[in-house]
Parts: sequence; C-alpha cells; structure tokens
Amino acid sequence: MNFVTLAIKNLLRRRGRTSLTIFGVAIAVAVLFSLLSFNSGYEKQLSGELDSMGIHILAVPKGCPYEAASLIIHGGVIPKYLSNSDVEEAKKIDGIEVASPMLLHQFYKDEKPHIVYGINIDDMRRLKPWWQVEGRFFSQTEDNVMVIGRSLAEEEKLKVGDVLPFGPDKIPFTIVGILERTGTGDDEFHFLPIQVAQRVFGKPDQITTIAIRVNDISKISEISKELENIPDIQVVTMTQVMGTIMNLVGSARTLLISVIIVAIIISVLGIMNTLLMSVNERTREFGMMKAIGASGLDIGRLVLIETLFITVIGGVIGLLFSALGSGLIEGFVKGIIPYSPTGKLMTPDPGLIGLCLLFSIIIGFVCGIYPAIRSSRLTPMEAIRSNLE
Amino acid sequence: MNEEVIIAKGLTKIYHRGSEDIHALKDVSFAIGKGEFAAIVGPSGSGKTTLLNLLGCLDTPTRGSLKLNGTEISGSKEKDLVKLRRENIGFVFQQFYLLPTLTVRENIELPLLFSRRNGYKSQIDDIIEVVGLKSRAEHLPGQLSGGEMQRVAIGRALINEPKIILADEPTGNLDSATSHKIFQLFQSLNSKGLTLIIVTHNLELAKSAHKVIQLRDGEIAPKVSSRALSKKARS
Repeated sequence: MNFVTLAIKNLLRRRGRTSLTIFGVAIAVAVLFSLLSFNSGYEKQLSGELDSMGIHILAVPKGCPYEAASLIIHGGVIPKYLSNSDVEEAKKIDGIEVASPMLLHQFYKDEKPHIVYGINIDDMRRLKPWWQVEGRFFSQTEDNVMVIGRSLAEEEKLKVGDVLPFGPDKIPFTIVGILERTGTGDDEFHFLPIQVAQRVFGKPDQITTIAIRVNDISKISEISKELENIPDIQVVTMTQVMGTIMNLVGSARTLLISVIIVAIIISVLGIMNTLLMSVNERTREFGMMKAIGASGLDIGRLVLIETLFITVIGGVIGLLFSALGSGLIEGFVKGIIPYSPTGKLMTPDPGLIGLCLLFSIIIGFVCGIYPAIRSSRLTPMEAIRSNLE
Repeated sequence: MNEEVIIAKGLTKIYHRGSEDIHALKDVSFAIGKGEFAAIVGPSGSGKTTLLNLLGCLDTPTRGSLKLNGTEISGSKEKDLVKLRRENIGFVFQQFYLLPTLTVRENIELPLLFSRRNGYKSQIDDIIEVVGLKSRAEHLPGQLSGGEMQRVAIGRALINEPKIILADEPTGNLDSATSHKIFQLFQSLNSKGLTLIIVTHNLELAKSAHKVIQLRDGEIAPKVSSRALSKKARS
C-alpha cells in the first residue's frame, strides 16, 4: 500500500461527494477551455477568413466604411453603390494587381437569406487561386449561368447542370459549377457574372465594392490615399476590418470573461468548502493515523494527493466535456457575439489542453493546501479526545 | 527488578480554556517496568485520557518529567514525538478507528506506510494469525463483528513491533464474552514480554493487572490492592 492507493480508497469511500466535486472542477475547466479555445480560434479564423478573400483593400461607397466592409465580407448588403467608372479609375492607379468589382444582392427564399455575388470571374480567380470547381467556371460573357458554394448546393440539393428559376423574374439559370468546400462564407453564396447580376436585379452600372489586391503590401497606405482621391470611394484595409470586428466583439468577450471568472471563483470556493468539510469529518481518523505513527506531513500529503486526484480527473473530464460539447458551446457563444467568422472556431490545441490541465493542478493546490495544512496541524489528542473523557 | 520503560515524575498537565485553567493532572509520579501490565482506572474526568495521551507521546506535560525508554518527552518537538510513537507505541482505541475501505490486511498494514518500513507479507500474516483473523484477512471492517474489529485494531498496534501497547477502553464497546476473548489476547501478548497499559472502567480487567494506577481529580489515589478491586468488581 502507498499514499496514492490510500488516497484513492479514501475518495471511493464518499463516491457521491467525490463525483460532485469532480463534476464541479470539470465544469470550471470546461468553461475555461471553451473560452480560451474560442478566443484563440476566433482571431485565427477571422484572420484566416480575411486572408482567404485574397484582398488587401476594399473600396466602398462613402459613409460608415468599416461597418460596410464588415458586412460585405460576410455577404451583407449596403444600400449605397459605386459605379463602373470608379472601377476604371481605380485600375489606373499604379501598384494595383487586381481591382475586381462586386455587386452584392440578398434575397429570401423560404424565409432564408440567400447571398448573390456578381463578380468578374477572371479577377476573382486571380484573387482566389485556390478555388476549385466541380463542373466548370462560367466565362464572363455567358448569360444565365451561375456557380454556387458547396454548402448551399447540399442544403438546396442542387447539382451541376440543374436549372433553377432565379431573380425577381424567375429567369431559368443553369448551375455550371459547384465550388469545392472552402471553409469560408463562399460555401454559402451564388456567384454570377457581374453584368448579369446587375441586369437581373435591376442595378445597371451599380457596384457594391471593389476588391483590390496590391503588388506590394508595403504600399497599401500609399495606394489607399490615391484611391481616396476618387470622389465616391472610401477605402478600408483588411487590417482595419479586423480591428473593427475585434472591437465589435470586444465588449461581448469582456462580459463572457467576467461571467467565466466568477464561475471559476465560485467553483474553487465550492471545492475548497467540500474539502474542508471532508477534513473536519475525518478529524478522528487523522488523529488515529497520527497515533499509529503518521506525521503532520503525512496527513497533509494524503489530503493534497486526494485533492489533486479530484482536480486532475475533473480537469480531464472537463476537457472531454468541452470537446464533446464544443458544437453547442460554439453555437451559444456565436449567438451572443455580434460577428463571427464562418467555420469551426473551437479547435483542440495541445497548448491549451496542457494549460487547462495545469490550471486544474493549480486549483488542486489552491484548494487543497489550506485543508492539508489544517489537517497536518491537528494535534492527535484533540482529534481523538472527543471520544475519550 | 524489571527495567523501567516508563518513569513519570511530578507529571502535571494544565489546559487553558478561555480564562480558566484546568488542571487535568497534578503532580503524578509512577514507574512501569518492561513486560508489566498496568491498568489506569478512575471515574470520568479523573485524568485517565490525559495521562494516556502523555504516555502515548500524543501530548507533552506542562510540568514534570516523563521518560519513555530513557528518552525525555517533556519539551520534545512534534517531530521527535512522532519518531518515539512509531518506534515504541502501539495504540488501541475503544472505537477501533478502522478505515472502512481497507481490508483487514490493509488496516493492519497501515502503520508501515507511515513508518516507511517494508512490510513483509509473512510478518503481516503472522500478526493476522496472532489476532485470530486468518480467515477474515480480505474482509472489510463492515463485514466484521465488534470483537473482530478490535482484533484488527490490536493487529494494527502490533505491526510496528512496539515496546508498549496503550489501550483506551479496549473492551468498552464489546459484550462480556467478546471482552473476555480480547482480554485473553492481551494477556497472551503480555506473557510474551510486551508492556501493556490499559485505561479501563472494567474492574475485572483491572484486577488482573500487575499494577493499578487509580486517578481521582487528576491525582493518584491511595494504592488499590487487587483484592479490593475484586471485591469492588463483585459488588
């Protein structure tokens, strides 16, 4: 027999209480892991989403540019437009590799929003060289054809070659291609040649934004200044978009973090209270142990091992909880946060798993050290006297 | 004359409760020889427990001298008391205090964990046999009778090969037939040379002792003869 087996047998003695305490630790660790994982996943996914656009600058119509840009990258529609001539002006600026006009339109089908991107396919394929398609891309001169995202195809049960009535006049459109999954918002969208979109939705010469990629990213600010000389245009860089979105979600994250800190403090106090109760109940037992030769250090060590068992097992269970329930937690948090990137935000990160296990060990020490010191200082005489005279 | 394992001179123990001083023991002196069987008797509140705690190195006296195997306990540090306990004392309690999730064998083995001694299986088996629990070795305390539980506690007290067994009301929770068997076990251990000190209300048990220390109000009462105890036990 050793201290570890003795600690395990002691914990098994009070199965109900031990399970509840482990459950308390598991919840604290699950909450912590989910938050940290969400936090790092959010920034990673957001910056990944912005990178995957292959765009350095968005030229948007004047007025509330940052919010407009945030909406555009997620398929939102703004009520102001640029014109074809603005695109021509932009293309004249030195250092611009691609200036691709886009028209965004939103319509509802079965109460579900659908996003339509009118694009220049050649520009778009230069901006997003990773795009792969089942079927084919349309050419810019084709009419009544579209490419759709993979998720949209699955949801609507559409396949290459299908013809569907489209637009306010229900014109038959042929799906010539379905994008291979990108893990971004593109999976949800309809893509049409821009001039077709302008015609179908009655917006001739209107453009929602110009997506711009520059040859040299160190020139972004110079090029931005030149773009802003075009009267209708306001410029938003992707760095600014990221900053705007992070600000938007900042207050929600602060609130979440505060709630979680309070939850963890309550959990730690609960665990400590349970351990103290358990130590108090075992006063006579510890007295007996001292009488048969245990030192104060032995008793303290036993209490600490028991506590660490509870917290480490709780930590592992908490991590399993959050792994299994990550979908639910993600859905809940996404509902609270004003903007969330497409794709899975909570991904298992070995560093975070290690950090959470370390956290559970620290909880163990924090919660266990006081009961351990208290029990180790117990004088054997006090402990067993209640049963004597 | 027997070698003396315990020599108490002018033992005094005062507890402080609030502003009040409680004199639990007042100037108590006695000696117990090696292999002797001593009974500590007295009414409740007479100081029996306090004396047992001092003898068991669970506490130190306020005044006076207490030598255990020649080592002075007065003023000793907790660390030294722990060492003295491990090497010299085996404790038996009225309430047994067995750990319910440990088997008979594991309960008996428990002190070896604290003394960092390797318990030889044969040594543990021998003790299980001495206390008559061979067929119950893998049972849990909940499956044992009161007498069997006390036998486990006695086995636990013996595992570290102590020089002295201190027993606090060892038959207090047992019926008379079981008490008699436990008493016989103590007698057989004593006959093998183990020093035995028992705190008891059981006058039958006390009358068999070589030495009776009767306490009253924290002091040693006038000597009690075994005959007087027998008479008291019969009445």
